[in-house]
Amino acid sequence: MSLGRRDFLGLAAASSVTLLAGKSLANEQQLPKECKDACAVLVDTAVCIGCRKCEWACNRQHNLSNQDMAAFDDKTIFKIQRRPDDKAYTVVNEFRDPSNPEKPYYTKVQCMHCLDPACVSACIVGALEKLPNGPVVYDAWKCIGCRYCIVACPFQIPAYEYDNALTPQVRKCTFCTERNLAEGNVPACVEACPNEALTFGTRDDLIGLAHARIKAYPDRYVDHVYGEHEVGGTSWMYLAPADFKNTELPELPPDRIPPNTENIQHAVFKWFVPPLALYGLLGLIMASKPDKENEQEAEK
Amino acid sequence: MISKKYMPAVAVVMVLLLSYLVSGSDISQRDSQGPKIDCQECHICDVPTGRRPCLKTCPRTAMVHQAVKHDLSEAPDSMLLDELVDEYQAVHFNHKLHAEMAEMGGDCVTCHHYSPKGHIPPCKECHGGEENPNNLNQPTLKGAYHRQCLSCHREWSHDTKCVVCHIPAAGTTIADHPPDSTDIMGISHPVITEPVKKVYHTPYEPGEIVTFQHKEHIDLFGFRCVDCHRKENCSYCHDIQRPATTSKTQEEVHAICNDCHIDDECSKCHDVKERPGFSHNTTGWPLNRYHNTLDCWACHPTGKRISKLSKMCASCHAGWSQENFKHAVTGLRLDEVHSEMDCSDCHTDNQYDEDPVCSDCHDDDRTAESAPPGMKIKHPGTQSSR
Amino acid sequence: MSAHEIPVPIKQQYFTPGVKVVFAVFLAGAVGVAYRFLYGLGAVTNLDNGYGWGIWIAIDVSCGVALAAGGFTTAAIAEIFHKEKYHVITRPALLTAMLGYTFVGFGVMIDIGRWYNIWHPMLPDMWQGNSALFEVGICVMTYVTVLYFEFFPIVIERFKSRVNLPAIIAVLNKPIDGILHIADKVLRKIGWVFIIAGVVLSFAHQSSLGTLMVLVPTKMHPLWYTHLSPLLFLISAIAVGFPMVVFESILASRSFKLKPEVPILASLARYTPFLLGLYLALKIGDLTIREVWPYVFEFSTESWLFMAELVLGVIVPMIILSIRKYRRTVGGLFTGATLVIGGVVLNRIDVFLVAYKPLYQTKAYFPSIWEILVTAGCISALILLYRAFVMIFPVISQPEDEVAGRMDDTSVKANFSKAR
Repeated sequence: MSLGRRDFLGLAAASSVTLLAGKSLANEQQLPKECKDACAVLVDTAVCIGCRKCEWACNRQHNLSNQDMAAFDDKTIFKIQRRPDDKAYTVVNEFRDPSNPEKPYYTKVQCMHCLDPACVSACIVGALEKLPNGPVVYDAWKCIGCRYCIVACPFQIPAYEYDNALTPQVRKCTFCTERNLAEGNVPACVEACPNEALTFGTRDDLIGLAHARIKAYPDRYVDHVYGEHEVGGTSWMYLAPADFKNTELPELPPDRIPPNTENIQHAVFKWFVPPLALYGLLGLIMASKPDKENEQEAEK
Repeated sequence: MISKKYMPAVAVVMVLLLSYLVSGSDISQRDSQGPKIDCQECHICDVPTGRRPCLKTCPRTAMVHQAVKHDLSEAPDSMLLDELVDEYQAVHFNHKLHAEMAEMGGDCVTCHHYSPKGHIPPCKECHGGEENPNNLNQPTLKGAYHRQCLSCHREWSHDTKCVVCHIPAAGTTIADHPPDSTDIMGISHPVITEPVKKVYHTPYEPGEIVTFQHKEHIDLFGFRCVDCHRKENCSYCHDIQRPATTSKTQEEVHAICNDCHIDDECSKCHDVKERPGFSHNTTGWPLNRYHNTLDCWACHPTGKRISKLSKMCASCHAGWSQENFKHAVTGLRLDEVHSEMDCSDCHTDNQYDEDPVCSDCHDDDRTAESAPPGMKIKHPGTQSSR
Repeated sequence: MSAHEIPVPIKQQYFTPGVKVVFAVFLAGAVGVAYRFLYGLGAVTNLDNGYGWGIWIAIDVSCGVALAAGGFTTAAIAEIFHKEKYHVITRPALLTAMLGYTFVGFGVMIDIGRWYNIWHPMLPDMWQGNSALFEVGICVMTYVTVLYFEFFPIVIERFKSRVNLPAIIAVLNKPIDGILHIADKVLRKIGWVFIIAGVVLSFAHQSSLGTLMVLVPTKMHPLWYTHLSPLLFLISAIAVGFPMVVFESILASRSFKLKPEVPILASLARYTPFLLGLYLALKIGDLTIREVWPYVFEFSTESWLFMAELVLGVIVPMIILSIRKYRRTVGGLFTGATLVIGGVVLNRIDVFLVAYKPLYQTKAYFPSIWEILVTAGCISALILLYRAFVMIFPVISQPEDEVAGRMDDTSVKANFSKAR
């Protein structure tokens, strides 16, 4: 994937005429092919009843705070808007559509598992990785704890164990990779959802399903599959009964984020030609004789 | 010399500028394909049959057209949902109670979105059956049950504990919970009475009183409760968290009336005093006993504003002629002499709504009242006027 | 130009009242560092899942790197462009850069959660070429090594033929001296490799430091979010290089009661208005192309800081330093240089902290007292080490005749003459 992008950049750097035409093409093509068949989840917030069973299942799956189910039946918690943290990879928040304030709806948030994740691009040692089958996974052994991923994430998802002095980790939804999704297992939260507001499948299927639902129930949904295009697409996608502006999901452009810096990086360090050229140039200047003229002109 | 001095800087500036251009953003364009319509739109298999339609999750709205009104007496009183016997005791589902409540709303289709004539399939016939495993388009049985139950139940109690419906089986670790006395589960809903009229006192000064003829609207226009009481699901009355008063905007207050009365003046409804209900007598066309039984739309064109109709019988009864009109339907069976006459002999200028003219033949100032031209009857034939 | 000047170790008392104050701050910072390593980042910092980076990155690392730019800029002008007269200031600048980068490394180590993994970017199987931070990391690591190599000749100069270890290990005197002689010869031959490498590496990571926040388009204030950021960082780093040399040279001469090298420094400061002008032009062009001028004049905190950055940090010093009369006074030089440095520091803080807005934070990040103490402690440690180094090693140049009169150790002078 990155190879393709680099190659493309070489061409672009060489020929600025074809620059704009080539770029939109690149935006489409350079996502890994597997992304289309990769695992994804569709969250239907119109079906979600805010029971927080997904939180409970996640908590149990990852041994986070080991609270029993009763702790998750507490609905008063919806009074505040919570964020995922190192003790809860997913949280459910309550929202109200201003035009229909009597009926709340719920949004489960967790790592979106972007198709081209900013955190993966940011990571200095490749401790974060986007697997071909969908999940964005973290390798604590590699991590140096620089927290650039936290800065970079457009959804503000990675959470840090600030209180751990010796072995702090970046914590976020793992997409339950450890449950072996390839063998027909589904993430713990998807399995637990009583109303089946969460649907697990391949990304392409789910996009089709989402649009079919919107078409079938135009009154129930806004015509927007959140995550289909946001930041180049995410593996977790949402349907909602009202504008996503009401929820905590941020309004994001369809452009992938990593090219912002990767294009710069790969242009400046293209086969190390620019640095080596600079080195050569400075070497030439240094090797040439001292410039007496300049010496004289110097200010006294 | 200057150029040499700045060359490295110039080189770097150029490289970085180039990269800046490269990384500029634009929105990629996507092809949009129009929808294809074919059998596969709704059916999974190539040859759907009546027994096995292998339907995708078709929208409920699209299936409802197949729904047939079923009588409550057909339905089972209660059923046991026992798919999870390992963890929970079977859920006792009081079908009758729920069906009664559904009658207040959308009838059987509230839950049975697919209910063809004769056989109403239970949920598990389609959902989560072995015939369509992993069907993304359809919730499994778990999802189907929970959506049916929880989407209403949570609306008043806001409780989504498993143990509200599932009593843990002996030996499981799931905590039992005491019954909640505020919960309305298991209590039959009292009969809801329909008021004849409702009188509203409004802040609109030129006409503070609005008399809403509730029964009239139902009787005249055939409205069902849910046509107007749209948001009034269970939680509308029973929500434990419902705020005491909700202030509505002027628009919201008028919304339901405005579905029909959008073009009317305020004075159509607002008055300084309470109004009587509508009577056709005030229109100059008191309804006779035949017309009285019709609904408005039998005579007034549907979908249009109700306006004055021509009083000529033929404007509605286009087929009536001298030959086939049975005068008996008017409450008077003509005697032999009069039955042989032309209609226009008595009803001059075809003015059927006015008194017939006798003086053309009779000189004794008689009228149809004082000397009927036949026999008055009490129970006239019924068919001819409909 | 004044009489010939040569670098010599400064013989003065280490502790003065001012130094004692700095030492106290250093101790407080050291307590903060110990606290951080024992109880974790959460106990010491105000960082959270919204604000992943605080002043340790914005000041210790990012400003540290920018302000150490004096090293490569003076090396470039004196060694590569052969402006021989600037040799007197290359050594202090080199020392500042070396110590500065060492503390950048130390600052990173304090800030990262798994500090013992700091070497991971060196492992080829963990190389992550897409990451601007990886580029910064690898370049800083390489550059700090290069700086040690660049500084090593000064160590050799100090100890060559004078290795005098005490007691038993005195037997090592000869071998070490031999090594120093060989190293001296080799470094004399290949020194240029490191000098050029230092410049190239600096270009690379100074710009990449600006690339870091380009990855955060959705959380950055439009005044600072630009794809030109790497170029702006690079130009501003180059621009702050000479003012930093001017600044520390004047401070050091005050501290050691020496005569400030006003002519040399003024001559160096000549370049600054041009570089600032280039920076200003790029900045204005960038604002215009991105059509964000309205944000400059919305008079919010951000717009005030942005204006301060440009007016006080760029335009005012540009004017001061381009007027010959001011440039040739200590006051004018010092004011101009301080403003440029302040502008760059403010710019780095703006980019990394002010412009960055987490999605869900209601309260903006403000550093805890411990974070401030640790940062202040690092700066203090830098000052203390600088003072120690210039007292041990021949770094700061003094007029030849004065030195000859004062110094008993003539071999230093002899060595230096040979080196020239």
